[in-house]
Amino acid sequence: MSGTSEAKHVLRCEDIEVSYGAFKAVTNVTYEFKPGLLYGLIGPNGAGKTTLMNALSGRARLSKGRVFLNDHEITKQSPHARTWAGLGRSFQITQIFAEMTVFENLRLAAQAHRFRLQPFWSPVGKFREIANDAEKVLSEIGLENSAHVNAGSLSHGDQRALEIGLALLSEPKVLLLDEPLAGVGHDVAEKAVELIRRVTEGLTVLLIEHNMDVVMEISDEIIVMLAGEILASGEAETIKRDPRVRTAYLGEEE
Amino acid sequence: MNAQRLLAFLVAIIISAPLLLPDGQGVGLVNAILIWSIFAIGFDLVFGVAGMLSFGHAAFFGVGAYTLSLLTMRMGWDFIPSLGAAGVVGGAVALVFSYFAIRVSGLFFALLTLALSQLIYIMAGTKLRMLTGGVDGIAGVPRPDLFGIDFYDDGNYYFFLLAVFILALLISGLIRISPLGQALRAIKSNEVRAEQIGFNVQRLQRSVFTISGIYAGVAGGLLASLIFYVGPQMLHWSTSGDVVIMVLLGGMGTLFGPILGVAIFEIMREWLSTQTSHWYGILGLIFIVCTIGMPKGIAGLIMQLWDRITPGGKS
Repeated sequence: MSGTSEAKHVLRCEDIEVSYGAFKAVTNVTYEFKPGLLYGLIGPNGAGKTTLMNALSGRARLSKGRVFLNDHEITKQSPHARTWAGLGRSFQITQIFAEMTVFENLRLAAQAHRFRLQPFWSPVGKFREIANDAEKVLSEIGLENSAHVNAGSLSHGDQRALEIGLALLSEPKVLLLDEPLAGVGHDVAEKAVELIRRVTEGLTVLLIEHNMDVVMEISDEIIVMLAGEILASGEAETIKRDPRVRTAYLGEEE
Repeated sequence: MNAQRLLAFLVAIIISAPLLLPDGQGVGLVNAILIWSIFAIGFDLVFGVAGMLSFGHAAFFGVGAYTLSLLTMRMGWDFIPSLGAAGVVGGAVALVFSYFAIRVSGLFFALLTLALSQLIYIMAGTKLRMLTGGVDGIAGVPRPDLFGIDFYDDGNYYFFLLAVFILALLISGLIRISPLGQALRAIKSNEVRAEQIGFNVQRLQRSVFTISGIYAGVAGGLLASLIFYVGPQMLHWSTSGDVVIMVLLGGMGTLFGPILGVAIFEIMREWLSTQTSHWYGILGLIFIVCTIGMPKGIAGLIMQLWDRITPGGKS
């Protein structure tokens, strides 16, 4: 935790642009994310939501603009360095170590966080604190009973939970969640929302989600994207009433 | 006993054959197996553990061989420091390769490592002829001179090679279960996720590639001293191909598999080449059949069989 400026924002992007050839997937995006809030990022398919997330987490190269985390510029940093700086992330398409057990998955994430310089001459099982970290998150995401199951054979919902667990182990200040509920059944989704709420308490979260009810319910602020730009942002009620949003996104003519 | 121990036991029998057989029979073959195993164990750290298919390992192997030969014969260095230098130079060349090759992955990585190693092969045969002896190579590479033991006797040299082999195997085993080895497994399993949880993927890949280069350099130096000769053939791409075949045949990603692969490969080479001059083609055919029939190599097959004959006793 650093300085007084942090009270204002943890993550800030300044006029960022990501272009693929002539196509601008994200453009003109300037935004400040305040600490401890949950931001719902919505917009039609192809609006640039995931690309924006890629730009923030370092997976997409910016053609313009700058990104700051806690007032430190991270524009040129690689994804792993941003993770170290406190930016965690889950993916739209589940990215886990499918042929390893759930516990091994989490232990790797704990190891990556604790040992950036990879101490060498000792079996990884000897590092008690790594196992402790992994076990703590294991119970947080409610997968204690599946600890020694291969991650690839978990149910889809549990895989999504594991994905969030992996991101949590880097002790992020900002968590980017790309459609954590994608493909999750209705009953499981409720549990997942509860999980997201619980584990992200106190964190700044940027959440992409298509289920409007969920987004409106759990977000402190909503950001609406259209054609690579931020169309509108604000509290759920304001967004719902915004005629631009209704026309462009919700597809309603007034 | 579990399947891992069974594999270890098989390896132990193969490498102690000269002690078990009357009159130290097979010592020449086992010496070659020990050296190629060091090469294969190191190669598998890159291939089996980190999941990078390199076609350039001949470069590190050959450069190690030349380093040991030149230092002992031209510079008058002792054998042991020269062998260390062979490892260091092998690792250094691997590190340089990695800066170019790790930017790309998969097939392009394989092709780039292949191209870089062929560059060194061609240079050794032409531009660096003064140093390397060109296509003739350098004959008369010495063996160690330690404790007054005559290592020019294959039976004695066996013990020296065995010691280096065991050290190489232990270090590889340690790396596999160390945080580094686990991180490499993660990268092989899912590079995107590995990077996102905070692993510096490229640096880890460079590290293991360099370690693997050290293994190859040491093995190359040892082979030069075993056959008293170094030539550009050791740098040729087919040497890279051989080690790929050995590891695939034995079982990539396993500690003991590559050694079994080397043993089969060398025994076949020894035996087939006395039967027919087309032995390399036949070896290739056997290899193709094996990789289709047992994708996890001999080690995988043995583990599978073991699980079947010991019901309930999953290893």
